[in-house]
Amino acid sequence: MSAAPKGKAKKDKRVGIFVCHCGVNIAGVVDVEKVAQKMADYPGVSFSTNYVYMCSDPGQQMIIDTIKEKKLDSIIVAACSPTLHEKTFMEAAKLAGLNPYQIEIANIREQDSWVHHDKERATKKALRVVKGHVEKALQNESLEPIKVDVKKRALVIGGGISGLQAALDIAEHGYEVILVEKNPSIGGKMIQLSETFPTLDCSQCILTPKMVEVQRHPRIRLLTYHEVDAVSGFVGNFKVRIKKKPRYVDPDLCNLCGECEKVCPQIVPDEFNMGLSFRKAIYMPFPQAVPGTYTLDAEHCLGLSPVRCGKCKDVCDRKAIDYDMNETFFEEEVGAIVIATGYDLYSMQALGEYGGEKYDDVINGLEFERILSASGPTGGVVRRPSDGKIPKSVVFVQCCGSRDTEHHLPYCSKICCMYTAKHAMLYKHRVPDGQATVFYIDVRTGGKAFDEFYQRTIEEEKTLYIRGKVSKIFKEGEKLVVWGVDTLAGKKVEVEADLVVLAMAMVKADGVQDLLKKLKVATDTHGFLAEAHPKLRPVESLNAGFYLAGAAHGPKDIPEAVAQASAAAAKVGDLFAQEELLHEPTIVPVDDEKCSGCGICITMCPYGARSLDRERGVVVVNEILCEGCGACAAACPSGAAQQRNQTDDQIFAMVSAMLKD
Amino acid sequence: MKVHYYPGCTLKDKTKALDLSTREAMALLGIELVEPEGWTCCGAEYPLTEEKIGTLAAPIRVLRQVRDEGGDVVVTTCSFCYAVLKRANGAVRNDPLKRKRFNAYLRDDIKIDRWTKAKTTGFDEYKGEVEVLHLLEFLRDRVGFPVLKSKLGRDLSGLAVAPYYGCRLLRPKEELAMDEPDNPKIFEDFLTAIGCQAVDYPFKQECCGSYLSVSLPDAATEASYRVLRSAKMAGAAAVAVTCPLCFYNMDKRQDKIKEAYLDFPGIPVVFFTQVMAWALGVDKALLGLGEHAVPAEAVFQDIPAAEVRP
Repeated sequence: MSAAPKGKAKKDKRVGIFVCHCGVNIAGVVDVEKVAQKMADYPGVSFSTNYVYMCSDPGQQMIIDTIKEKKLDSIIVAACSPTLHEKTFMEAAKLAGLNPYQIEIANIREQDSWVHHDKERATKKALRVVKGHVEKALQNESLEPIKVDVKKRALVIGGGISGLQAALDIAEHGYEVILVEKNPSIGGKMIQLSETFPTLDCSQCILTPKMVEVQRHPRIRLLTYHEVDAVSGFVGNFKVRIKKKPRYVDPDLCNLCGECEKVCPQIVPDEFNMGLSFRKAIYMPFPQAVPGTYTLDAEHCLGLSPVRCGKCKDVCDRKAIDYDMNETFFEEEVGAIVIATGYDLYSMQALGEYGGEKYDDVINGLEFERILSASGPTGGVVRRPSDGKIPKSVVFVQCCGSRDTEHHLPYCSKICCMYTAKHAMLYKHRVPDGQATVFYIDVRTGGKAFDEFYQRTIEEEKTLYIRGKVSKIFKEGEKLVVWGVDTLAGKKVEVEADLVVLAMAMVKADGVQDLLKKLKVATDTHGFLAEAHPKLRPVESLNAGFYLAGAAHGPKDIPEAVAQASAAAAKVGDLFAQEELLHEPTIVPVDDEKCSGCGICITMCPYGARSLDRERGVVVVNEILCEGCGACAAACPSGAAQQRNQTDDQIFAMVSAMLKD
Repeated sequence: MKVHYYPGCTLKDKTKALDLSTREAMALLGIELVEPEGWTCCGAEYPLTEEKIGTLAAPIRVLRQVRDEGGDVVVTTCSFCYAVLKRANGAVRNDPLKRKRFNAYLRDDIKIDRWTKAKTTGFDEYKGEVEVLHLLEFLRDRVGFPVLKSKLGRDLSGLAVAPYYGCRLLRPKEELAMDEPDNPKIFEDFLTAIGCQAVDYPFKQECCGSYLSVSLPDAATEASYRVLRSAKMAGAAAVAVTCPLCFYNMDKRQDKIKEAYLDFPGIPVVFFTQVMAWALGVDKALLGLGEHAVPAEAVFQDIPAAEVRP
């Protein structure tokens, strides 16, 4: 792409100016008539007018008609910020047959009338701003958007409820999906839950049909025990390197007879039961695991060799066990990536005063879910971990780590109020003569049928709610003693408990930062995924082609996670519905003749769009990756990097015009 | 090794045992203790209660003196002195305004030369150069617990001691930074290093009642009782303390506790330095056991040093 022929365009161009009143938003402070009038005489300007609402239908029509009638080559709309109506006027210009990149928006509202009171000086400023844009417009090139193909296949990372929902929806839209899950089975955290608030549906009963559907769907390729290793490319055209972890069991041959598990001598804490029970080194995570196959956990196996042990291989009639499997890598092409990597709980170690690390009977919410679950280590009977006794007094502590700006995490984990109410209720259903006590800061039950559920927990289940924080939990004999404060009574309280359940804060998933670094997607200060706009673009990442679903984006409950996953899938559908993608042409190319190949711009580029062509000794630009931020243009010492329609010449011309007289 | 040692006023009066046993133990470790010339009271609680410069004068004068004598570390054993010196030092070190105002305030102090006793005025600005360490910290970080362990002269393996941190050693965490306030290990590691069995019990960081023994004696009695009972229930033969005030509340006032709580059988309270000195091989007569209100002789059952040393 050659630079705009300077000088020539400047003399020949016919520029039109349209000054907007925006009701009194602009006209109340800026003398719009005067601006239009004065600009009519400015060199290069062929036409100048003002109108009450340029963005209105008649306003746009006026612009269209005038462009045609006066044969304008470029127009300046002096109005609000370009983030609001630049698109509107670009479309209008297109209708008039003018290249949309010949439109300039002079912001005389947010940066002028809204921040000034002195009419005379504000008018002067408006004139300067408009003059600057005239100078820029005189050198603007006509540009065409860059076109790029779309690979209509999606990658979903994470096989929890959010990932499953997103995968199913995208597949139902008619597109192929690759679902990658790092664990041996899909199901995520939801499969560990007992019953779900506020309806008390059995979590496994509502999730397992979805898991099976995902496994059977003809357009979903399910890759469990796989990890995303590297991602390159850009929206519509990602290349993903996927790591296949060795399972040491061939799922196609394994018939789940379970003989291997019986003979395995290695006993390991069971992750599915939060370490409350044990599994063997060769195991199936849980009975409904998808895919239904055994997995040999190499970390705990005696040595993956018949010399060291080899018992499992000996008993396997189907010859499904193969100790020689290795990590393998393969590459896939996808057009969009949905990130649904979920969450983890804040470590109990961080709250030393609660003794979670020290006492077996101080447990977190997920552990209690397993104790309540019919498929859990106690078969759904509430027993405490230390001695298996049925606890007659259970204390629930909310906000463990949440809403504690000074020491822990400043945010609300959102689901704990409801799941604590559910825990108390389920506990009372199982142990009717037991006492449930809840320490809370506030009870937040925003959600459909949530508050009714909470009220039932108090009124029907006779749960004692104490407003205040817990300062210390310690063991005295058989009992745990909970020290806290009742801030409504203004008193210290001491409660004896057989079991204490801590509602630990939700935090970003363990180890997810490595993955996110590979994906180069933005996160917030707590490591949760950042959305493109907190209100208007809640399921997209700032980085094009990436979509967010579920608790990876921030604490949320199941219905919200499902809704977000479906929304993300719909957004992927939007993308795939297009035959080709259009990319903004206002990028920063390289002038080969000026480029010395110093590479400073490469280090400045936040999108990885620039690289060094070693053969020619110049930098080359991937036009699709370039977002036109201009960081390289500012850093380039030789002027070889010039942003289209924002060249150094244009900027200097704008500055000179603005500062003149 | 030579190190500055700030005993604090209580160690020269009510709890000589703490001072005495420290000196004996350090001598066996080959560490020479130097008291800063003309040291005064650290100010006890006052330097930390008010946001004023004048109250900082007492602790900072001591630290400035240590610096001017060429010391870069000062060791204390009393928890109160430790907290006051370290926090005051931190205030001068980290707050430029306080540093400036403090140095202006004490510009005209009279300086006494350690050796010639000549009096002059004029000090270099004190910027918080000296490092304040509790003896436990000093033993852990500068001497090393393994070194301490290598110098033992008695076998205390049958002795179960409950470490008592109290309120002044650990908090505020950011300023004292000795150990994790909710899960401290330093005292336990120390007791293990000198060959005892460290007893874990939930009240090791709870308050002993502190100065309430003056204004609200019953509250202090209850607080100390809960600590001692918890240690006893956990199987401790003695409670080890670092602070003279804790010692006062838990040892000197133990008769009051027994009067108020008839079920309480009593438990000896000792200074951590007494146990250390004993483990290193110091003679029983040099431990200052005469100061104890609750007899502590039983804690120190003699096994001749010769039987332990190879």
